[in-house]
Amino acid sequence: MTKSEERKIEGQKTLASGYVTLDDLKKAGNIPPDGILEARAVPIIDDIEEIPCTPCRDVCPTGAIIMPSMNDPPKVKWEACTGCTLCVQACPGLAITLVNMSFGRKVLKRNDIALVSIPYEMIPVPKRGDRVRVYDRGHNYLCDGEVYSVIKSVKFGTIVINVLVPKQYALHAKYLEVIKGE
Amino acid sequence: MKEIDRRVYEHPILSFDRGRRVRVFFEGKEVPAFESETIAAALYAAGVLQFNYSARLLRPRGPFCMIGKCSQCMMRVNGVPHVRTCITPVEDGMVVEREANHDMELPSPKEGLRVERLSLSYDVVVVGAGPAGLKAALKASDAGARVAVLDQSPVAGGQLSKQTHKFFGTKESYAGMRGVDIARMLVSMVKERENIDLYLRTQVIGYFRREGLLIAYQAKSVNEFGVLVIRAKAYIVATGAMERNLIFSGDDLPGVMGAGAAQTLMNIFGVRPADKPLIVGAGNVGVIVAYQALQAGIDVQAVIDIAPKSAAYLVHSSKIRRMGVPILMRTTIKEAYGNGRVEGAVIYEVDERFRPIPGSERDVEVDGVWLATGLSPSVELLELMRAKIKFVPELGGYVPLRTQYLETTASSVFIAGDVSSIEEASTAMMEGVVAGISAAEKVGLGRDDLRTERSESLRWLETFRSGPHYRRIKEGLNKVLIQ
Repeated sequence: MTKSEERKIEGQKTLASGYVTLDDLKKAGNIPPDGILEARAVPIIDDIEEIPCTPCRDVCPTGAIIMPSMNDPPKVKWEACTGCTLCVQACPGLAITLVNMSFGRKVLKRNDIALVSIPYEMIPVPKRGDRVRVYDRGHNYLCDGEVYSVIKSVKFGTIVINVLVPKQYALHAKYLEVIKGE
Repeated sequence: MKEIDRRVYEHPILSFDRGRRVRVFFEGKEVPAFESETIAAALYAAGVLQFNYSARLLRPRGPFCMIGKCSQCMMRVNGVPHVRTCITPVEDGMVVEREANHDMELPSPKEGLRVERLSLSYDVVVVGAGPAGLKAALKASDAGARVAVLDQSPVAGGQLSKQTHKFFGTKESYAGMRGVDIARMLVSMVKERENIDLYLRTQVIGYFRREGLLIAYQAKSVNEFGVLVIRAKAYIVATGAMERNLIFSGDDLPGVMGAGAAQTLMNIFGVRPADKPLIVGAGNVGVIVAYQALQAGIDVQAVIDIAPKSAAYLVHSSKIRRMGVPILMRTTIKEAYGNGRVEGAVIYEVDERFRPIPGSERDVEVDGVWLATGLSPSVELLELMRAKIKFVPELGGYVPLRTQYLETTASSVFIAGDVSSIEEASTAMMEGVVAGISAAEKVGLGRDDLRTERSESLRWLETFRSGPHYRRIKEGLNKVLIQ
């Protein structure tokens, strides 16, 4: 158990209190169909609101993020995404994870493992090979994950942790904490 | 006894260059301090939370705003009473004391006050060196105006300097840059301009309307001042806003402070204001400050809000939810309690008519209560200038009437930023562009390319404000727009 799991007060599980679920994102069309998910890396954007914000759209090299006006919520053209993680690094709201379900199969020869890119602005920063605790959108513990790599870009300033998790947790994984003593 | 040090030495975003160590004496004991700190920051770092007493009941009091707007941080420094310790930098050998009955005594020449008078003249004077003021100064300077920027703080940048998060918006509003980096950039641009003079630790204390004279004092030390008598052809008031208090039992206990005050301590000075605070108000300010507190290693216990739905951008609130910080809606604070400082709080739930729900009270173990319950525009100077003011709740309270070019009903007085309506730093900067160009035009420095830029900025503001979060603000703006 980490310090953050020991908070005594329980939050309300409502969208009105900032608690977003995968269902909320599915309803908004922010989760791709299974076929696409199995085939390629895709950004999962936890923004379903009209807010004036455009960095993800502006940074995307292939125009895969559609946002006609600055207040429109981003929509992804799944087949145009190259999985470059620039939107994950650029998003000021740390709202984007990149989910790569095929990574285990293609790179590690393990069909049960996915790679998730998670934006991170805390300390300590984990390093390759570290075990981390992986949480969902409501800080419910999902699983331990292994850090595959860490992207640090001076331009964007937000670190991206690429973490390996069992596939069934990939769409849920949204936050991680370094296990003390790692 | 172990020496308390509440400073943050490791931070994911910020690095604190505190400078040389200096000695400050508080009630006979040496308090470690660094030259970049204010007296209030150094005291807080040493665990001193109680700065003075209330005048009649002698209740312990501590700082509330940390930006020189409230009076709760006033102390006697080197024998001079009523020094605002939150905006007064430490000096080696300073002697700081709590003062009782602080409203009974006035500083007098016997304290050895040294005052020097200076007469100055500018095309445009900007009051406030926050996002709006800095942008306005740069634009007026682009037009060729001679500009002065005044701010009472020892640090320029206003609230921008405290923002560790990356800004929303578009490239025109520096989206993707952290507020603290935007502040650094704007301040260095202002300092490079030969036609802008930046006066810090300088507070406006009067305005003579008939003569068009602004009176300000520039603090050089606690007992040494320059009195500036400034004549300008146009003024831009960008004085920002003041955090609102909330009334509850124990609301004056040291440790109860504005969320922005907590930000000042955490992010400007790298001092932890509390270890496990409760934040009241789940709008953007409340949840952003919660996130910043987590970055500073502070274990936020909960964010509560009496409204049924958080007014924050979902993106901001979900950021702290995934980190395990609970947000409780329809929940508010009944009391804060403790011996001389916050040691706990009682919260309760309300029904749809905001009546307490019986049996919902609970005690929470917290050591700080941070209020993010809204801001009130700082319109005092505009009132002195006789700009017409109107009460518009959608914009945060009393705000001046203005044209689309941000000129008030007072002749040659312009506004920008939170003083015109409580919005965001992004809109404040864009209003700064509009006001800066308009003020320059007013003093005969109009230029076609700048007028085009002003139109583009106005269009940008229109688009930015077209989302659902801005519906109320837009309604409010319609009530104060004049021809």
